[in-house]
Amino acid sequence: MELKIRKNGNNYIIDVNGEMDLYNSYKLKELVMKMLEKKVERFIINLENVDYIDSSGIGALIYICSTIKKMSFRLIITNIHGSVKKVIELTKLMGYFPITNSIEEAILQMED
Amino acid sequence: MADLTYLSEIKQIRVNENSPLFDKTGMHYKEFPSDFRQIRYFTLLIVQSAPLEIKEINLLEQQISEVIKNAVKHGNRCAVGKKVRVWYSFDSAHAHLIVQDEGDGFTDLEKWNDFNRKRLEILSAQDFERLADFVSWRTIKSDDNDGGNALFAALEYWDGGFVFNDARNAVAMLKSFPQKKHAIG
Repeated sequence: MELKIRKNGNNYIIDVNGEMDLYNSYKLKELVMKMLEKKVERFIINLENVDYIDSSGIGALIYICSTIKKMSFRLIITNIHGSVKKVIELTKLMGYFPITNSIEEAILQMED
Repeated sequence: MADLTYLSEIKQIRVNENSPLFDKTGMHYKEFPSDFRQIRYFTLLIVQSAPLEIKEINLLEQQISEVIKNAVKHGNRCAVGKKVRVWYSFDSAHAHLIVQDEGDGFTDLEKWNDFNRKRLEILSAQDFERLADFVSWRTIKSDDNDGGNALFAALEYWDGGFVFNDARNAVAMLKSFPQKKHAIG
């Protein structure tokens, strides 16, 4: 799994590439925690290039989401598709995560 | 407004050694050491025998990987000398697996069912504030890498049943796949 950060205004977009599985999901969690330490407040996690997620990956997203919510900062997860979407649906967390269909939509929501 | 679909059928993990899902007749068999690093590799060795007609093979692989991970990590506590035994059979309409470890069994099964029932009630009430406490099943043995959500999805995915034996160290499961309707011409 590869993680890339890009900036759009005050938003930090994290592009996740690869599989979010039991061997590497902690990397995303660690990256977000480091960014929080550096006072980043607006996160967009882009899962466009993620075709596989397991319970560890979902667990990492839950941890990130609850940490950011507790700090009253902003998070949007975007471009969820295929089996990743199915796993989140099976876990019934589509309503729990803040989700948009595209990065553009995420950026617009951040402005609200 | 409450969404009652979550409560329409509260699924539970059941214990029933006499379930037909434990009938191993005609099933393939593989056994693996409890090597955490190789869980996805072991899973692929099993999934490769699934027919190409099965759609969403990624999802099938993921669901099987979770059950093997539970056996390796929570059942056998990653003791490499302890085996995970897997019986499996696939066709275009079904996936049937039995996964057995050498551990003490899923002793918290009833607690898990209670937790899941509360989770579904909270989902039904769409109380996303309280849901935060019910998105992840944690025990004193959980570590930071445990998502604590695999069994929620397993109960939904394995629509033909997800049943433990009496010792609770083996679980049998069945998934049905939708079949294409052929036009009669």
